[in-house]
Amino acid sequence: MEIAWVVHRKGYDMKKMLQLFFAISIVFPVFFLAVLSFGKNWTYPDLLPSTLNAANWAAIVKLDTGLFQSFLTSLCISVFVGVGSTALSFITSKFIAYSRYRSIFILIAYLPYVIAPVILAATLQYYFIVLDLAGSIGGVLLAQFFIAYPFGVIILNNFWNHKIRAIEELAATLGATKRQLWLKVLLPISKTALLLCFFQTFLISWFEYGLTSVIGLGVVKTLSINVFGFVNEANIFYAALASCLLIAPPMVLIWFNKRYIFSTDTVS
Amino acid sequence: MMHKNTILNVSGVSKKYGTETVLHDVTFSLQQREVLSVLGKSGSGKTTLLKILAGLEQEDAGSIHLKDEDYNGTDGHETLGRFMNGLAPQHRNIVYLYQEPLLFPHLTVFENIAFGLRIRKQPGAIIKEKVEVMLDEIGLVSHAFKMPQQLSGGQLQRVSFARALVINPKVLLLDEPFGALDIETRTQMQELFKKVSKKYGLTSLFITHDLKEALIMGDHIGKIEKGIFKKYGSPKEFYEDEANGVMAEAAFWKQFKA
Repeated sequence: MEIAWVVHRKGYDMKKMLQLFFAISIVFPVFFLAVLSFGKNWTYPDLLPSTLNAANWAAIVKLDTGLFQSFLTSLCISVFVGVGSTALSFITSKFIAYSRYRSIFILIAYLPYVIAPVILAATLQYYFIVLDLAGSIGGVLLAQFFIAYPFGVIILNNFWNHKIRAIEELAATLGATKRQLWLKVLLPISKTALLLCFFQTFLISWFEYGLTSVIGLGVVKTLSINVFGFVNEANIFYAALASCLLIAPPMVLIWFNKRYIFSTDTVS
Repeated sequence: MMHKNTILNVSGVSKKYGTETVLHDVTFSLQQREVLSVLGKSGSGKTTLLKILAGLEQEDAGSIHLKDEDYNGTDGHETLGRFMNGLAPQHRNIVYLYQEPLLFPHLTVFENIAFGLRIRKQPGAIIKEKVEVMLDEIGLVSHAFKMPQQLSGGQLQRVSFARALVINPKVLLLDEPFGALDIETRTQMQELFKKVSKKYGLTSLFITHDLKEALIMGDHIGKIEKGIFKKYGSPKEFYEDEANGVMAEAAFWKQFKA
């Protein structure tokens, strides 16, 4: 009886420890990053910076750091890439899903990830230079679109299943025109899938570094480019600050995700 | 020429997928207010036939004509009714109901039923009136503002039926509509369909693989097998056709009577 209780107790402790380990492994880096962003004067072997104040955060609005501008640049690029690739991949995925060559198209959609975005950028860089797109926001947008668009198709491909097709057909026999079908049926029932696709493609764009640096030629300063810039300069406090800005939108998206996606009942 | 009571005339309709013939020279007509039960096994071509009639699939050969009082024909087929071949589903006024109720998950029961009226841009007051009549007809007045996820299988099928009925279709195509329901709910749905069908004078093609259901639901019975369609003149004729196995089935049960 006592042995059984000890075994049960140990199992319970192990469960608690794993839960704690999981929570700490996620929260600690974010917490430490936030602490570093307030830091100043960190000397070895101290565990934490000797000074903590909000002076670094004031640098966000200072023009010479370029943090706020790069935040806005990143936000604009990512919103454009997210909205554009979601919209186009929604339509494209429909034609692919109902095509007899569906599996071939989906296999092709994985190719940009097999060869890695940075290699793709290096391969296409010549054409971006010829078209005068290298080093421009338009060029970075287009390059990131090459990565986000197939990913959107992969995400949304599963939305177009047998049931959705039957709903489309039924709506048509009830008298819905193609426009009404899209506006009154397909868009509302795909809301969850579209939001999910937007979040994913937004995040791909938001964290993109290699492809952006190759096509942007260092001229287009996104937030991820800035973070690596500060890291290379060994400016750890500004790097932490820029990283805090970098993780802020994804955290908002996670909150949004939880609040809207998991609480909505729609066809998926 | 189309008989004055004929609403749908199907003549020589054929369909092939690759080298496989799915429908072979299907010819029949439907009279106004007629419910035609069609028996068919899986892969017999019954769903393809319904989809062709609804305009969701394209036939390879043959013609389909639908009586339409509002149609001032100029296509040379006026005496046969309106020529349906190539006409998009949304212009046919033929509703195709699947085995699954397929309610729009983002709309309430009320809005699901109102769907066909809203896209026809009918006035709000008329929509409200018509939908309320339908809700009463299917016994779901108290469920009007529930979402489809809150309804049972039988209730979903009722709403699906009301959603089709409210737009007053020329022909209703039902593809094993009660196939997924339990026996009790199925019986209730059969009774409801019979009652409403009679009241509104529905013309429908009712596909089933259940012999008893075919006999209960249909004014006439047809059979589709390997793409070949046959419509029987009467239930007796259907019973006496040895190929259907009805007589053999009846004989089997009779032996227990003695």
